[in-house]
Amino acid sequence: MGTYILRRLILNIIVLWLVATMVFLSIRVLPGNYASQQFAGANLGGVTPEAIAQAEKALGLDKPVGEQYVNFMGDLLTLDLGESFRTRKSTWSELATALPYSLELGLFIVLVGFSVAIPVGVVSAVKQDLAPDYILRAIAITALAAPVFWTASIAVLFVLKWDLIQINVTGQPHYWTDPWSAFQWYLIPGVVGGFASTATVMRLLRSELLEVLRQDYVRTARAKGLTERAVIMRHAMRNAFLPVLTVMGLTLATLISSQIVLEQMFNIPGVGRMLFRSISLRDYPLFQGLVIVTTFVIVTTNLAVDVLYGFLDPRVRLS
Amino acid sequence: MAEATAPILGKPEGRALSIPGLRWLISFSRRKPLGGIALVIVVLLVVTAIFAPFIARYDPDFIFKRENPVYEANPSFAQLAANPDIGSPVIVDSFETPNPTHWFGTDKVGHDIYARVVHGTRLSLIVGLGASAIAVSIGLLIGVVSGFYRGWFDIIMQRLIDALQAFPGLVLLLLLVQVAEPSVRNTVIAMGVIGVPTVTRIIRSSTLVVQSTDYVEAARSIGATNNRILWRHIIPNIFSVVLIAFSIGIGAYIIFEATISFLGVGPRGVVSWGKMVQEGRGSLDLHPWLTVFAGMAIAIVVIAFNFLGDAVRDVLDPRLRGH
Repeated sequence: MGTYILRRLILNIIVLWLVATMVFLSIRVLPGNYASQQFAGANLGGVTPEAIAQAEKALGLDKPVGEQYVNFMGDLLTLDLGESFRTRKSTWSELATALPYSLELGLFIVLVGFSVAIPVGVVSAVKQDLAPDYILRAIAITALAAPVFWTASIAVLFVLKWDLIQINVTGQPHYWTDPWSAFQWYLIPGVVGGFASTATVMRLLRSELLEVLRQDYVRTARAKGLTERAVIMRHAMRNAFLPVLTVMGLTLATLISSQIVLEQMFNIPGVGRMLFRSISLRDYPLFQGLVIVTTFVIVTTNLAVDVLYGFLDPRVRLS
Repeated sequence: MAEATAPILGKPEGRALSIPGLRWLISFSRRKPLGGIALVIVVLLVVTAIFAPFIARYDPDFIFKRENPVYEANPSFAQLAANPDIGSPVIVDSFETPNPTHWFGTDKVGHDIYARVVHGTRLSLIVGLGASAIAVSIGLLIGVVSGFYRGWFDIIMQRLIDALQAFPGLVLLLLLVQVAEPSVRNTVIAMGVIGVPTVTRIIRSSTLVVQSTDYVEAARSIGATNNRILWRHIIPNIFSVVLIAFSIGIGAYIIFEATISFLGVGPRGVVSWGKMVQEGRGSLDLHPWLTVFAGMAIAIVVIAFNFLGDAVRDVLDPRLRGH
């Protein structure tokens, strides 16, 4: 176990280094940089090539790429992610303001997603190949197929047309500053995003349950005369739930950065929107920092889930 | 021989259907009715894409306008205040509700939305099929080479793929599509690259499975060369996995294209459903038809490809179900 975790940790460090290198190179491959991007479109007389060169010098963009890379890696070793070109604040503090929003939205999505996916998955497996199974699976595939920006638009339309709920949000509230406003703010993106994420979990739970329900110990449980409810809840679910738990962990980890569309649509200043903007602005340090941190969260969650798996299911040998 | 086998198999004499593809299709549709329906929809979509100019009724970029009946060359301020359009000789037919001339209505600029939805099929199919084909070709090459030869190439490739998979997919795509000018070709290539890690993983693990089978062992023991084993045993046996990887991915690429078009960094100069949804979103409550039809088109295409992909997987390799 110890050597396994150690080996995985070393692999994670290699992966992180590769990601950092990729991030560094890929953002620099894009045409233009922060300085030229600022002046793009503004054809004012004052913008001379010298002015751009001066701006580049101030941002350290005039140094050779190799030197920039060495500096970047050196800073990374001391956990210094640099400061955003635009706001001049450190990437860490930018992240600290954006992360809560993404987490609040992400939690909403996960809660909605799983509270729909779990009962639906169970029903679909228990009623395999009967009408409920077909209907529920069709809905799940539809949820997977409809693009989230479209379902979100339609949801907004319904809410507006029929005054279903009053959405009254001022500013950018958190759950802990103004819970009711925050709830209203996240309601539509949370429900839409949650609905979109159900399909994967529901299908996984269904196939796992179907597998487990064929096992001998389930037959034994039934033969003992247990009620169907007890067989499913106590015997089958416990074993079918492990892979679902894995997916849960990973979903939560990727949610931090994957809600670009919903954050953009609903003006939520989270990590996804910040990432998107940092790409278009060529805000190198901010972009690099955000991707490295989110990747770190993902690979670490991956490892944690695998280790946890080994504890929960003794049949799984970590090697 | 022929007389001996016919009665054993119990085949009726003179079977009407002898086209092998058609027979396979019928048995496929019987086993997977949803897959059969999806296949029909996909075929219809391909037909729509190819014959779009004939089906669309109008040019998607044609601007519908009519002469202004009350046109004044030099309107006075009072006239302008009463009718702001009075100074322009033509009026654009914007935001027309769906009607017999414009089945799905018109948009802000006066384009026929039905024509645009029909033409949008082209981009979606090109992107879905093209990106999946690129991902599968590169993924097959890398996956087979690293699974078959192992060694340092495999080790390096595995780590690179880990890194690519840890990278948020949409972010990587947003980066890649901005590297070169946003043409259809470049978008397809960028999306194909995004798909490579997943395909490589699938192909590599199937290569490993096939490689450890007895028949490969047997081939090796009678002195077959690596090349022969690769081409005669490994590749034919992972072919079904390749087909699965190809068909499963298509829907996701179509959604990806719609998403980046929605975000405003999609391919330029073509009709895109994602862009149409974006354009209509601002006035959704007043002119819902701008958004609704394009969004429905995306959903239908993706559902069809997802069902087809699921059916192909179930028929070719039932073990992969649910993964």
